[in-house]
Amino acid sequence: MNYMPGTASLIEDIDKKHLVLLRDGRTLIGFLRSIDQFANLVLHQTVERIHVGKKYGDIPRGIFVVRGENVVLLGEIDLEKESDTPLQQVSIEEILEEQRVEQQTKLENEKIKVQALKDRGLSIPRADTLDEY
Amino acid sequence: MFRYESLEDCPLDEDEDAFQGLGEEDEEIDQFNDDTFGSGAVDDDWQEAHERLAELEEKLPAAVNEQTGNGERDEMDLLGDHEENLAESLSKMVIENELEDPAIMRAVQTRPVLQPQPGGLNSSIWDGSEVLRRIRGPLLAQEMPTVSVLEYALPQRPPQGPEDDRDLSERALPRRSTSPIIGSPPVRAVPIGTPPKQMAVPSYNQQILCPKPVHVRPPMPPRYPAPYGERMSPNQLCNVPNSSLLGHPFPPSVPPVLSPLQRAQLLGGAQLQPGRMSPSQFARVPGFVGSPLAAMNPKLLQGRVGQMLPPAPSFRAFFSAPPPATPPPPQQHPPGPGPLVQNLRSQAPMFRADTTHLHPQHRRLLHQRQQQNRNQHRNLNGAGDRGSHRNSHQDHLRKDPYANLMLQREKDWVSKIQMMQLQSTDPYLDDFYYQNYFEKLEKLSAAEEIQGDGPKKERTKLITPQVAKLEHAYKPVQFEGSLGKLTVSSVNNPRKMIDAVVTSRSEDDETREKQVRDKRRKTLVIIEKTYSLLLDVEDYERRYLLSLEEDRPALMDERKHKICSMYDNLRGKLPGQERPSDDHFVQIMCIRKGKRMVARILPFLSTEQAADILMTTARNLPFLIKKDAQDEVLPCLLSPFSHLLYHLPSVTVTSLLQQLMNLPQSAAAPAPSNPHLTTVLQNKFGLSLLLLVLSRGEDLQSSDPAAESMENNQWMQVMFMATRELLRIPQAALAKPVSIPTNLVSLFSRYVDRQKLNLLETKLQ
Repeated sequence: MNYMPGTASLIEDIDKKHLVLLRDGRTLIGFLRSIDQFANLVLHQTVERIHVGKKYGDIPRGIFVVRGENVVLLGEIDLEKESDTPLQQVSIEEILEEQRVEQQTKLENEKIKVQALKDRGLSIPRADTLDEY
Repeated sequence: MFRYESLEDCPLDEDEDAFQGLGEEDEEIDQFNDDTFGSGAVDDDWQEAHERLAELEEKLPAAVNEQTGNGERDEMDLLGDHEENLAESLSKMVIENELEDPAIMRAVQTRPVLQPQPGGLNSSIWDGSEVLRRIRGPLLAQEMPTVSVLEYALPQRPPQGPEDDRDLSERALPRRSTSPIIGSPPVRAVPIGTPPKQMAVPSYNQQILCPKPVHVRPPMPPRYPAPYGERMSPNQLCNVPNSSLLGHPFPPSVPPVLSPLQRAQLLGGAQLQPGRMSPSQFARVPGFVGSPLAAMNPKLLQGRVGQMLPPAPSFRAFFSAPPPATPPPPQQHPPGPGPLVQNLRSQAPMFRADTTHLHPQHRRLLHQRQQQNRNQHRNLNGAGDRGSHRNSHQDHLRKDPYANLMLQREKDWVSKIQMMQLQSTDPYLDDFYYQNYFEKLEKLSAAEEIQGDGPKKERTKLITPQVAKLEHAYKPVQFEGSLGKLTVSSVNNPRKMIDAVVTSRSEDDETREKQVRDKRRKTLVIIEKTYSLLLDVEDYERRYLLSLEEDRPALMDERKHKICSMYDNLRGKLPGQERPSDDHFVQIMCIRKGKRMVARILPFLSTEQAADILMTTARNLPFLIKKDAQDEVLPCLLSPFSHLLYHLPSVTVTSLLQQLMNLPQSAAAPAPSNPHLTTVLQNKFGLSLLLLVLSRGEDLQSSDPAAESMENNQWMQVMFMATRELLRIPQAALAKPVSIPTNLVSLFSRYVDRQKLNLLETKLQ
């Protein structure tokens, strides 16, 4: 039943498996159980999925209540096509390790860049040191 | 606290005065209170009784363990040997803790009280036997699982019609009317935590699952479902949803859940059975019952329907067990709608969301069972594979025990809020894009209908709540008797916080750059104002249709007025002068938004005005082309220009061509290098415009042979020059026009010979 034609509403998404991308970069996968007018979400049997390269790892998290303003986007997962992915699932420890390595290399590259710029007398303010708005 | 063994001990004599004084002071002392002052205090030593009772409870577990062996034997004898084997097999499958099973309790009750009353509990105000039975019941249950199985749900036993009622009326009455245990929670009509809506269903479940009336014994926290008759193996009963504690975050689909609608249907069915136990009778049962029932029976029902096909026949037989007086439940259709039955049945009512209290082994069994069920069900449904995708999705929903946690009314509540947010007094203003989009859709579908003549598709339309516009006049807050008004700044009455004064600087002070910048800003402002006018003008059509008859002339006038203003804005209005320089217009045309705006305005202008615009454009085309290098938005003007061209007389076209190509006035003068034309030809827009003009000229020429000779001459001259110019231009320099008019060949054929014609053709392609 189409509740409100021509509008975007999460009501029809209830009890379906969703992938939710949060503002802090986390990816959650869970069954959407409840919503409210602010698009706060209640996710059931939630799994936090960490992606590094072609690998991913799932951390089971249980029940999540997400404040609506922190959601970037969410989409329904087609249960049939879900397993049809070129990505490879690995264990949690492994993926966390991979993530750590990735973060490290990123930081190092960033450092090198900043140093190079400094040497040339330029400075680019980092996004996280700026005010949000 | 004092303890008076007898009234004689009270030091009344000695301290009579003091005592009475006390009595006078506190008149609240209830001197009729038996326990304190009356017989209760004297005859009945309740404190001692309490202590003994406490001891009793401690002793009992010990006592029970001793009696274990006796108990079992007794039970077996009670029921006969023919059920012994079954009992044994069942006992293996039974979950350990059967305290809460009402059937067990019932079995306990029927069993004669063999043991002597332990603990020396003398008759006190509490009914000793009752207490005994009640206390022992749960503990003794451990010894007698087998009995409960058989007694509880044997379908073969013929149901006893009137007896049932009698039994029921006896048994349904609560045995205890008071809370016997000190400190125990008061008996509640509704157990704590029972969701209100789900109360009715357990009673229904009770009816379905217990063909024989069962006196439901109190206090059992909902733990594990009892195994049932031989029809249902406990494994089937274990089809309760497993929790995420299993570790696998997404367990395979589990037995179905009843949607609220179907729940209602089931309930409706429940009401049809008169001879059965009605909910009202259950209401009289002590409150503790509801909770275990609610939790257990759904699981039981769940278990029953977990395996859809194999137990189905037995399931139906189960239903036929009740007396013929009772009509079969509504789901009891002829085998035809088997799947339907299964569908409905398969969505058993409410599911406890948290099954974390399940025993681990129990959960494992459930899990296994679910897998099997799912496989079986899938195999059977594989035949009807049409729309299997949808079915599998519905399948998932059906089997999802956590579905519908969000109730329908909650969903309605959220949509209500969302609809409220869509309230608007002027939807066209507030929700322009949505309105336009739907209008387009409707037009499209209407067009399709006319074409296809197919069935009319009902497109669901969102009807947003319309709110009447209310004029709020702000009335400042006033206090009575005070001088003046209190002005508070609020959203309805915003107050100026900063007094910012705009000061305009004199021209002398500014540098050249600033002047340029200011000029640009002024142009931008003019563009914005003109754009607002344009939007209004475009909206007039809609308003015209919505308005009343008498308003329409006024609307038309307004519209005309606005159009004039727009034109003036474009051309730069200066009072008391001929049309001023093109500068103003060119400035507007340098800005991307300005160009697009001009393209939109053109259809509204009169022919003269539009022609004027066109001329100005042509005159300044190279400059405009240069400025348009980044935006490349000039081609948007082609469409309105071409429309305009069809209305222009040949004179205009001629002069236009002249302007466009920057042709010298007289044909005789030798043509120097023509950068103007070069630029024009090298630009897509320029070349396309040129071709359009040429084409129009040709049309005019060919369509109207009896044209004025003067004009004709003019045109001829211009054309000669034009062709001369065109021939001079190397082909490589030409841009690619948007479209090449078809009549160019015929046009050029008039003025040039064949050879050159070919040349021209190749150039222009």
